[in-house]
Amino acid sequence: MVDKIKIENLSCYYNKKCVLEFLNLNVVKNEILGVIGPANSGKTTFLRTLNRMNDFDATYSKKGSVYLDDDDILDIDVETLRRRVGMLFAMPIPLPMSIYDNITYAPKRLGFVTKKIDLDNMVESVLRNVSLWDEVKDRLCVSAVKMSGGQQQRLCIARVLAINPEVILFDEPCSGLDPISTAKIEELMIGLKEKYTIVLVTNNVKQASRVSDRTAFFLMGKLIEVDKTGKLFVSPKKKETEDYITGRFG
Amino acid sequence: MIKLNPKLSQKFSYTLLCFATILAITPVILMVFIIIKNGASAISWEFLSSMPKDGMSVGGILPALLGTLLIVLCAIMVTLPVGVCAAIYLNEYAKNNMLTRIIKLAIVNLAGVPSVVYGLFGLGIFVMFLKLGVSIIAGALTLSIMELPVIITTARSSLDSVPYSFREASLSLGVSRWQTIRHVVLPNAIPGILTGTILSIARISGETAPILFTAAAFYVPHLPHSIFDQVMALPYHLYIISTQIPNMPKNIIYGTALVLLMMVLTMSCIAIFARIYFRKRRKW
Repeated sequence: MVDKIKIENLSCYYNKKCVLEFLNLNVVKNEILGVIGPANSGKTTFLRTLNRMNDFDATYSKKGSVYLDDDDILDIDVETLRRRVGMLFAMPIPLPMSIYDNITYAPKRLGFVTKKIDLDNMVESVLRNVSLWDEVKDRLCVSAVKMSGGQQQRLCIARVLAINPEVILFDEPCSGLDPISTAKIEELMIGLKEKYTIVLVTNNVKQASRVSDRTAFFLMGKLIEVDKTGKLFVSPKKKETEDYITGRFG
Repeated sequence: MIKLNPKLSQKFSYTLLCFATILAITPVILMVFIIIKNGASAISWEFLSSMPKDGMSVGGILPALLGTLLIVLCAIMVTLPVGVCAAIYLNEYAKNNMLTRIIKLAIVNLAGVPSVVYGLFGLGIFVMFLKLGVSIIAGALTLSIMELPVIITTARSSLDSVPYSFREASLSLGVSRWQTIRHVVLPNAIPGILTGTILSIARISGETAPILFTAAAFYVPHLPHSIFDQVMALPYHLYIISTQIPNMPKNIIYGTALVLLMMVLTMSCIAIFARIYFRKRRKW
């Protein structure tokens, strides 16, 4: 059990209002860590802190440290950090370009794949990884915006895989999708943990129980409990956790 | 309060609104109609391509036409890159603090400064202080300064209309801020910037006051040799032939006005078609 990400005494603020309080948590290599909790519990803030996407928000500030492989994320060049810690958003955001260009966009900009033949191979392999290749191989030049929601989200996963990250952050990746697309993405996540470390923020408690190895429960900016998924769902230690996962909340 | 019967008040407001609309468009239609009616007979290839003769009462408007085109071209070449770069900085990089807000406010207010003030400013700075003399370049720089706030404002709103999520998606892949702007934001903002630019061109080609002291000449017997020459310009030429020269044939005055009007209208039409074209092609 190697810790991929270590979070020490992390507190996050928007305009000095505390949204995440004194968080200590670790993410183990090649696991799926599920993060559940009601709205405003700080889940998304937590996720966006990990790859410093919150840096653009001028009202945001944080205390405490986050370590990726024992390096403080503030010491890592921010572009490199985001390359190593990929992210998926709640709504699929295909860039307004073709399917092919969506995938090759970042590798080209980052300059680690440049030859046409390598790009072609990479597109095929990442699309196969998200089992999208057979659906779109004949229309790679079509605008990605024309795909269905589920396909778009899988394309976005493929796009993240193309930059070869170490960690992938999923921010409620299925919130806008139908059950079949959701099942496909969940299956995909389970397959991906062989190679990647995954943090999955979800509003869907059942999804966390199906997919994640360990689950953390956040409430009002505090980590209430984190444990093996089987344990947390069967015999939670805290009453709040039990109330939330059984739907008796509020 | 007088209570009107609802049917009557509906009729009344309808008539009022309709009347206001007719009032608004009548002068435009009338103006175009009169100019075409009186000026169409003067328009010919020869009119566009020959020098004025006999104290401008015969001949064409070539030097004025060419002068205006040159001034506008130079002005846009200066104002477009500067304006777009400033817009990118303000919209994408500048932190939202007091200073930025003041700058933005200043830009909006600069667009409302009367054009004759820009003309005097150009006279002071470019013609006298920088010793460019009354020349194409001085006039172009004056016009470009006048148009800068407009270009910055339209470019900013085009940049702003590109969804923020595109930037996030790109940045989350480890792509740098500049590359995101260069490859995602700008390509999607260019249609808006382009139409804004064409409209700016249309606007500045008809401006008289800013070039009055900085570029325009009463009469130049030859075509300009360099950007440091004085030139004739269409709007100023129109002013001269309609007020300063006695016994000017009417159709030449209206013909000149027609050429200027057509130049501006064509530009606006191109802008409208460009907008329709890009809107259809937009992928989001």
